[in-house]
Amino acid sequence: MTPLTILRRSAAQRAIAPLLVVVSALMIIVGKVDQAVFESIRVSIVDHLAAPLALLSRPMTGLASLAERVRAAVALYDDNLTLSEENRRLLQWQQTALALADQNRQLRALLKLVPEHARAFVSARVIASSGGAYLRNLLVDAGSADGVARGQAVIAGEGLVGRVYEVGLLTARVLLLSDLNSRVPVIVERSRQRAILAGDNSPSPSLWYLDPAAPVRVGDRILTAGEGGVFPPGLPVGVVTAAGPGAPRVTPYVRLSQLEYVRIVDYGLADSLPPPVAATPKPGLRAAAARPNRR
Amino acid sequence: MTIGSEPVPAAPARAAGAARLLPAATTALAALLTLEPVPLPGYAALTPTLTLMVVYHWTLYRPDLLPPLVLFAVGLGYDLAAGEIVGVTPLLLLLARAAVLRSRPWFIRRGFVWVWAGFAVLAAGILFGQWVIASLLAWRLLGTGAIVFRAALSVALFPLASRLLGYSQQALLGAG
Repeated sequence: MTPLTILRRSAAQRAIAPLLVVVSALMIIVGKVDQAVFESIRVSIVDHLAAPLALLSRPMTGLASLAERVRAAVALYDDNLTLSEENRRLLQWQQTALALADQNRQLRALLKLVPEHARAFVSARVIASSGGAYLRNLLVDAGSADGVARGQAVIAGEGLVGRVYEVGLLTARVLLLSDLNSRVPVIVERSRQRAILAGDNSPSPSLWYLDPAAPVRVGDRILTAGEGGVFPPGLPVGVVTAAGPGAPRVTPYVRLSQLEYVRIVDYGLADSLPPPVAATPKPGLRAAAARPNRR
Repeated sequence: MTIGSEPVPAAPARAAGAARLLPAATTALAALLTLEPVPLPGYAALTPTLTLMVVYHWTLYRPDLLPPLVLFAVGLGYDLAAGEIVGVTPLLLLLARAAVLRSRPWFIRRGFVWVWAGFAVLAAGILFGQWVIASLLAWRLLGTGAIVFRAALSVALFPLASRLLGYSQQALLGAG
């Protein structure tokens, strides 16, 4: 290893490091007091970083798919048996689903039910995930140029992933269900009980504000409640996997740490999410944000 | 592998222009790699502190080539890209640099094991600092489990990172 050398610095050079420390600390405080200050800068910088990040994520995805191929080749026979069995069962379910869909259509026609919004969606690749211990978010390579807007639901496979909370021209940032700041109004499918699914940076978010008289059970399905106007009702979220003495834990259907592609769905509700407000909202700002914006 | 088996030269040997950007470039690359989504369960919480490894290495061996302004810029870029609270990473990287510069004379004539141990102390300190800032900003005590694993993973991977940086240093910057 090379020898250490003496560092010679002028007075000006010596002064710059403490100055930058102070600037950093000030930025933390300013960012905490007014969270919207850095948002526009952040969004434009992230748009510029999209290309290198997307490039770097390719080999990683390649390695993961290679490992998956090797695993699949080894487990080919077993997988085949499992899949044949599953296929047989799914075909039965398909018949049931078709019958139910038909019946549902007839009943809706009888009730003259308002049809649900058409949903448009874009698929996007995950190009960065926050590498910190205290953040759970993703950066995807679709932005306002692709029709992505703040508040849109992000799903993968059949489960909810989170929602869009920052949009650039080419990129968007997704707040995962597991993030400390994530709160999603949900409903317990079996009991129709409402609760809030609160992230705490662990892989399994917890259920808050449950009615103690109607306890949830392990295996209960959790769906979005549609309250708050961010998500449509009935999106599958996860399954209760721990219903101990503390707050029940929900394991999301989607493995949030292993996402490569997500779908950003426009349910026509995105406009109803208020913009990020300062910690001390000015009079009138909140009223403007809370303005009903339904269709 | 010993540092400073030779008496310390008065001034670092001059390296070719572009090669002098190596420390800054590797620091920026480490920050980009930290943002990489690795499809492993739970990886996001355990991502090793690659940037800290690179900053430690260069501050120890070539502090003249990794000025505080570079750390500030890389840290700021990382915070903006990762959605972190802006300012946290530059602050931690600058504090790490100050701590390493201060204890640098102590590492002269000591073996790699001591350099490694020094990184362990630094990583523990910086991750603890990160926990304190995150807890203060969230105004509650956050879990500490992830920090312990992150520190352990970072310390375990440090010799590899240090070796790679050492090779690149000798190839591009010479022994200086």
